[in-house]
Amino acid sequence: MFGAALKQLDTQRRIIGAVMIREIYLRFGREGIGFLWLFAEPLMFGIPVFFMWSIVRPKYEHGVLMMGMVITGYLPILLFRHVGGVMLVLVRSSVDLLYHRQITLFDVFVARGLLEFISNIMALVIAFLLFYILGDVSFPVDFAMFLIGYLFMFWWAMAIGLLVGATAERSVLVEKTWPVYSYTYMFFSGFFFLADWLPPKLREVALWQPSLQAYEMIRAGMFGKTLKTYGSPSYTALVLAVMTFVGLLALREARRHVEVE
Amino acid sequence: MAIRVNGLCKDYVTESGQLRRVLDNVTFELQRGEKIVLLGNNGAGKSTLIRLLGGVEVPTRGSIELGMTMSWPVGFGGAVLPMLTGNDNIRFIARIYQKHIAEVKDFVEDFAQLGKYLSEPVKTYSSGMKARLNFALSLAVDFDCYLIDEVLAVGDQRFQRRSHEELFEKRASRAMILASHITEIVTAYCTRALLLHRGRGKVFDDVGLAFDIYRSI
Repeated sequence: MFGAALKQLDTQRRIIGAVMIREIYLRFGREGIGFLWLFAEPLMFGIPVFFMWSIVRPKYEHGVLMMGMVITGYLPILLFRHVGGVMLVLVRSSVDLLYHRQITLFDVFVARGLLEFISNIMALVIAFLLFYILGDVSFPVDFAMFLIGYLFMFWWAMAIGLLVGATAERSVLVEKTWPVYSYTYMFFSGFFFLADWLPPKLREVALWQPSLQAYEMIRAGMFGKTLKTYGSPSYTALVLAVMTFVGLLALREARRHVEVE
Repeated sequence: MAIRVNGLCKDYVTESGQLRRVLDNVTFELQRGEKIVLLGNNGAGKSTLIRLLGGVEVPTRGSIELGMTMSWPVGFGGAVLPMLTGNDNIRFIARIYQKHIAEVKDFVEDFAQLGKYLSEPVKTYSSGMKARLNFALSLAVDFDCYLIDEVLAVGDQRFQRRSHEELFEKRASRAMILASHITEIVTAYCTRALLLHRGRGKVFDDVGLAFDIYRSI
């Protein structure tokens, strides 16, 4: 029983790996710098934005290094937007793969999500090192908390990505509004503010959203006690688990309606 | 163990929002090593049945019990990526079907005869070369039952002879579900026929009779 489960897990891992390699070729081709685009892509978004911020804003804001806030704010929301973006065409672009019975929509979903995550983390490391050398950021005070926050952000992106991927094919509304939604969401996500800056009533409502929770943890990890933060890992895990469960049900429903053109 | 198709129905929603039943209560069984031909005019539901058997689409009602492993449609090239090389595609198939890469590669090299083209992107292949690669990839994996949809006429004469030999002689003991109008092949190898008409299916033990009826409708 246990052995069979382990074997299943190993099969799953191999399939996801194979789909990931395929995805890299599909997105970046085989020529030139190829898979290096994986790291270069988010950096091309990020670096100009970061330099712009570092020019127009003071070095310290609210008692912390401003660039620390910007880098650990911008890259997570970029992850959220990119994951949702690639999942928009999850079903459509997986149809041909489904002829191979052992490949599921979930495998493709995980493979894509992981690629986005790896790409984002690499960009984070590179941007971090660059601005560390320039003296604009310092290392996280509590690295474990920083990591937990970042992983929650990835989970949040994946939970939304799962819902987007499972519904976009059959709902024009989701398909058409995602780009607008994912952009405007940036302002509510917690990228630009701390829960502590909000009036207590508003803070309570704002903290319902997992992304602000994740940002609070990322910032607690980044700056420690310098800032007052409100992140709750147990609340966030609970909400995301429920969302993921609903997303998986939606994906199963989407699988029933897959149609070959 | 057999393949049991039971009360299979498939509905699609049309542009105008109405349900259209493309397969209506289709039932048949296939034992190990048995070969059955699918007959039907355009629109009879053949392609839909193949998509359901291939596992890419899910039935609206009814079930498909797979008591043996079933191939993807032989020669189907949708999962082959044009920007990947022949070798990349070989590695992909080997990885997902847990085969040794060298083993799959040897088979494809020998069967498809693509030589150094295997290390070129598939988009540079001629349509005949693509067909050969696709065909070779689907035969490189061992299945109990092969799903074959109108691909027996690809490639030149020599390749057709090779594919015929690989499928019907070397894999004579395998089950097959064959959608084909090539009378000589069908009557030589298939022992039963499933005649589809407007979504309904009827099984015939006499393939010749099934062909006669198919021609008359």
